Formats: sequence, C-alpha cells, structure tokens
Amino acid sequence: MSVLDTPNPRRAESAGQQEAVEQERRHASTKRSPREGSRSSPLDRTGTGTRVVILVVLGLALLWTLVPLVWMVLSSFKPATAITSAEPSWLFTPTGEHYAGLFTGGNELIPYLWHSVAAAGLSAVLSVVLGAPAGYGLARSEMRGKRHLSFWIISTRMAPIAAVVLPLFLMFRQLGLIDTIPGLVLAYMTFNLPFAIWLLSSFFSDLPPALEESALVEGCTRWQAFRHVALPLTKPGLVTTFVLCLVFAWNDYAFALVFSGPDSQTLPIAASQLVTQAGIDWGQLCAIGTFVVVPMMLAGLAVRRWLVTGLTLGAVTGE
Amino acid sequence: MATITYDRTTRHYPGAEHPAVDGLRLDVADGEFLVLVGPSGCGKSTSLRMLAGLEDVDDGAIHIGSREVTHLAPRDRDIAMVFQNYALYPHMSVAGNMGFALRMAGMDRTEIADRVRNAARLLRIEEFLDRKPKELSGGQRQRVAMGRAIVREPQVFLMDEPLSNLDAKLRSSTRAQIAALQRRLGVTTVYVTHDQVEAMTMGDRVAVLDEGVLQQCDTPRALYDRPANAFVAGFTGSPAMNLPTAAFDADGASLGGTTVPLPREVLRAAEAEGAEILRVGLRPEALYLDTEGIPLTVELVEELGAEALCHGVVDTGDGDEERLVVRVDSRTPPRAGERVRVGFRTDEVHAFSALTGERLGD
Ligand SMILES: Nc1ncnc2c1ncn2[C@@H]1O[C@H](COP(=O)(O)OP(=O)(O)OP(=O)(O)O)[C@@H](O)[C@H]1O
Ligand SMILES: [Mg+2]
Repeated sequence: MSVLDTPNPRRAESAGQQEAVEQERRHASTKRSPREGSRSSPLDRTGTGTRVVILVVLGLALLWTLVPLVWMVLSSFKPATAITSAEPSWLFTPTGEHYAGLFTGGNELIPYLWHSVAAAGLSAVLSVVLGAPAGYGLARSEMRGKRHLSFWIISTRMAPIAAVVLPLFLMFRQLGLIDTIPGLVLAYMTFNLPFAIWLLSSFFSDLPPALEESALVEGCTRWQAFRHVALPLTKPGLVTTFVLCLVFAWNDYAFALVFSGPDSQTLPIAASQLVTQAGIDWGQLCAIGTFVVVPMMLAGLAVRRWLVTGLTLGAVTGE
Repeated sequence: MATITYDRTTRHYPGAEHPAVDGLRLDVADGEFLVLVGPSGCGKSTSLRMLAGLEDVDDGAIHIGSREVTHLAPRDRDIAMVFQNYALYPHMSVAGNMGFALRMAGMDRTEIADRVRNAARLLRIEEFLDRKPKELSGGQRQRVAMGRAIVREPQVFLMDEPLSNLDAKLRSSTRAQIAALQRRLGVTTVYVTHDQVEAMTMGDRVAVLDEGVLQQCDTPRALYDRPANAFVAGFTGSPAMNLPTAAFDADGASLGGTTVPLPREVLRAAEAEGAEILRVGLRPEALYLDTEGIPLTVELVEELGAEALCHGVVDTGDGDEERLVVRVDSRTPPRAGERVRVGFRTDEVHAFSALTGERLGD
C-alpha cells in the first residue's frame, strides 16, 4: 500500500537512538555550526522557486495516492445506484447498508477479520521477536562475510512470491498446515522475518557500541546488555518494524489464496469473493476495501513520527 | 584493591600491519594512579580495553591482583570504566544509571538506593538523580559517569580520556577533583589521556606509549628530569624540549659555534655508536638570554602573561638551521628579528642518540 512505502532503514531513526547517536556526534565534533545544531528541514534551505516545484511534485504524488482511496471510501457510503451511475456524484445521502451487508446474511465477515488479525498479528510479533536478536547479532558480530550474509538475508525478501508458493504448498501439505492459521503465519514469515532482521540490524548498528560495552563491564552478559540496554533504546525501531510487518502480512493475497481454506481465509480473500459470476457488488467491495485499508493507515500514522524523525536526522547530517 | 600486571601483552588487529599494542610490560601497584599517555593512535585505548576485556589479547597475559584475567569476560573482572563519551544509558535516570550494575548484581533495593545517594553526595549530583542524561550539562554527565563507577566499589577504575569533552577551565578543576577522589578511595586506577599536562599533574606514575610500544614508565618528576629517549623528552613538558642535532667533539656538542659541554660518558657513548652527531636536549626553561652563548635570531615572541616564549633559529654553520624555544621574562622580551645570545644551565642538558633516539650516558 502506497501510504507506507518501505522506508530506508538508516533513516528510520528512533528517538532514544537518536539521542545516543547525538551524544556521540556531539563528542565527535566540538565545533558545530549553529546551522547544524538547529533542526532545519530541507525545505527551509532552498530557494522559493525550487520550493514551489517541490510542493507541486509532492502535491501531485499526494493526489495520485489519495484520490483512489478517497473515492473508495466515499463509494462505500453511497447507495448502490449512485455507485454504478455513469457520472461521478459528490452529493449523496450516506448509507451504511454496505457495511451492514458485510456482517449479515451469507457474508459473515467476522471470521475473515479474525483470521486476518491472527495471521498478520502473529507473524508480525514473531518477526520482531525473532528478528531483534538476529538483527542485533548481525549488527554486532565481527565475522567475515557479514555483509554477504546480511545481503543474502534481505535477498530472500526480494524473491517473488510465485517462486516460493509451490514448494511451500508441497511442504505445508506434508505437514498438514494447509488451511491453518499457523500455516499462514509461517508463510508470512518467509517475507517478514528477513525484512525484520535487516531493518532491525540497521537500527542496532546505529547505537553507539560504548553503551553495551559499558553494560558488559558493569556485569551484564551479552544477552543482558542486549535486553537491558540495546533493546529499550531501539523501542521505536521495534514498533516501526512491527507495524510494517503487520501491513505486509495484512495486505497479502497470494499466499492466502493458495494456503487458506474455510478455516483460515483472510479479508483480501473475502473481498475477492465478492467478485462473482453473478456480478460485482461494488458497494460491499468498497466497504471491505475501506475496512482493510483504514486500520493499516492508522498504524502507519502511529509510526509516522519515527519515520519522519529519521528523515530529518538525515537532513541535518547531510547524508 | 589490587595490583595490575601487563605481561608482554600484545594486540594485533586483524589486517593491521603493526600491532596496536606490542609486548606491553607494566606493573601497577595497589592503589596507584597510573596514567597512560601518548599521541593519537599510539595504543592507549587498546591497552585499556584489553584490561577491561573489551578487546582480545593476542599474546601475553594480564593479571588483576593474583588472578589472571587475560581471557575472562568483562563482567568477571571487577572493574569499573569511565568512557570518553560517558556512555550513560539514555533511557535511564541518573539514579538508574548509577544503580544499574548493582541491580544486575542482584543487590538489595534499599542498599542500592543508599549507595547511589552516598556517591551522588560525594560528587554533588544529588539534585540530578531523577533526571535523564540528556537533561544534564557535559560536566554533570561526566560526574554521573564517575558516580556510576564509584558506587560499585570495584577493584580497579579504568578511565579513557574522561575529561576530553569538557572546556579548558572545567577540565583543570575536574582534573584535581578526580585525582583527589582517587586518593581518597584508594582504588587502583589506570587513566588514559593524550594530554601530557593531565598526565604529569594526575599520575603517581606515567607510562608513555608510542606506536604501541612502551617508551618509559616513571614518576612525572623522573620523566621530566631523565627522559629515556628523545620521544619522551619531546612529549613531556610544555612547551616541549628543544632537540637540535649537533656535531660533537671531545668537549661537547657544538651549537652555532658555542660548545655545549657534555659529560665524558655521554660523549663516549655517542662515539661508541660510530655517529658524528647527536641530539642535544634543552628545555625552554633551561635556557635564558645572556650576553654570550648560542646565537639566536628571534622569529616570534609569544606573550603568555607571566612569561614569554621566544622562538628563534640557530645557524649551525653548514647552511642548516636548528630551532630553539627559550622561556624569557615577559617584561623584557626581545623583538622579532633581533639577534640574541642564549645561555643554558649546564646541569640541565640532555643528550640523545641521533640514530636511535635513546638517552646517552646516565
Ligand atoms: N577496531 C580496530 N580495528 C583495527 N584497528 C584498530 C581498531 N581500533 C584501533 N585500531 C588501531 O590501533 C591503533 C591504536 O588505537 P587506539 O584506539 O588504542 O589509539 P589511542 O592511543 O587510544 O588513540 P586516541 O588518542 O586517538 O584515542 C591505531 O593505529 C588504530 O588505528
Ligand atoms: Mg583512545
């Protein structure tokens, strides 16, 4: 989904981390120009002409992204006749009939919703829980070929879903994981875990090692230093990773189509079932689309602050 | 309380051409304040980090007290370390920072609070106990870092340039406070700095490192009076010792036509090397303006208030020049361009080999 494009992990800086990094930077250079000290946004530095161009481009991008969404949300409240009419109508009496329809009759949406929440939520939680120690290890170890290993991990995220669907299907069938929530969770982990490891490892790399070294000297084991010092300082990184993993899994259609059945079908599957041979129920489709998009948009807004902090930090250091 | 022994300790970073620390042999007495000093990149931090267990030891051993700690984890060494950037945990309050090690050791809550409060009182940071590190000034953070070390009552304190982030004035007052605190607590301390003034004023003994090799370890007085080689001579004292190269004969070294008399055994040692030149060591404070002596053309006079530093060149005759710095009275300094004569205190003349830089004679 376009509101939440994959962020550059180096920029996605957390508040606590930023502070630690800041401490480091302050010590690195005793002389800082006031310019560097103040948090100016890139826009403040540019001339008016450039600024207008930037704003126009941003405005167009925003329109491109938002118009279909807004249209979908609007349509979900329109009476069925208004949706299918040839000319677009802005004025209509809003109706909740499509939403009501989703929860009544043959289209009981609750199980789908539950499957989506369980599969996406569990896979996001597991990705963060497993990805944090793995990312930490990757960030802090000094083995040879570390860069290759880390590239290999993220490259598995780049594999097209079509390439893994078939082998996974065969394995899942053997293991009896077809049409189960654990099966879906496992499938989502194939793309979420590498992503989480990669993103979190870059959050951990940005922490000054002296903090953990201090913890080691103060009586911690490596694990305790991770647990009591590194982990709390990357909390925003953990939240960001969690939300992004949640979004990826929540939006999945391909895996759910192949691996799920009546006991595990998710919201995107429910949406697709509205496209029937008898016709397309546009009203319900828009309602379900809204239902899918809105929670993730809220989640995106929740982590926005940290993503933005990361971006402005990059602007200050001129990276 | 404990002694520390480096026994031919070596650290060779993978891929590096030379060892960062090469066969370091050093004994630190119980309760002693030892300063490791040297130019940037000489291996001070590496030496300290090996002692802390944060850096691998490739060869040799390290002992704390009667225990060999060479390959022990940092947590098993009973040491406390103050880092250059303080490394305070940003997510914990000052009290949380200071009590962290005790909490990890499973100490009783009320006792932790007691100890933290006592240390805070000692360092006058009681009023900041509830603040986060980012709400403190640089000097206050420095004191919190000290406090975090002392609450643990460890066997050894390690400090890596703890004052380098403070401004000059605060640095000199904190310098005195740390030295006094260490004497009061009597905990064996290894202190790293690149600032020779800090080294000379704080240390019971000072170990001078260069390119990973220990040059000399002695009391500040002995380092100043009897530097073991030209490197130490040039590193200690401010401004640094003049080390002009000079030819010598049976009476002494010749500087700009003036003979600087040298003891017989020094000249014999120089001769034994087969060299025709040696390096004369003259501290700026061993030189004075006189009616006769080494001829000097003044290039620049630095007024420092109580005194002035007169920089000049000596024409050595064969077309070469040697530079000298002379400490002079600030009320009657010479002017730039003036030609003056420089006398010297004969008992404060050092001589070093021009080949190896080692001290000649005794
Ligand atoms: N992790 C490392 N990997 C490779 N080489 C290193 C590493 N750390 C330090 N070195 C090298 O080892 C040498 C000694 O470094 P060290 O940090 O001990 O110097 P230092 O005396 O503390 O200098 P400074 O006063 O600048 O802190 C240097 O040449 C440095 O480049
Ligand atoms: Mg250092």
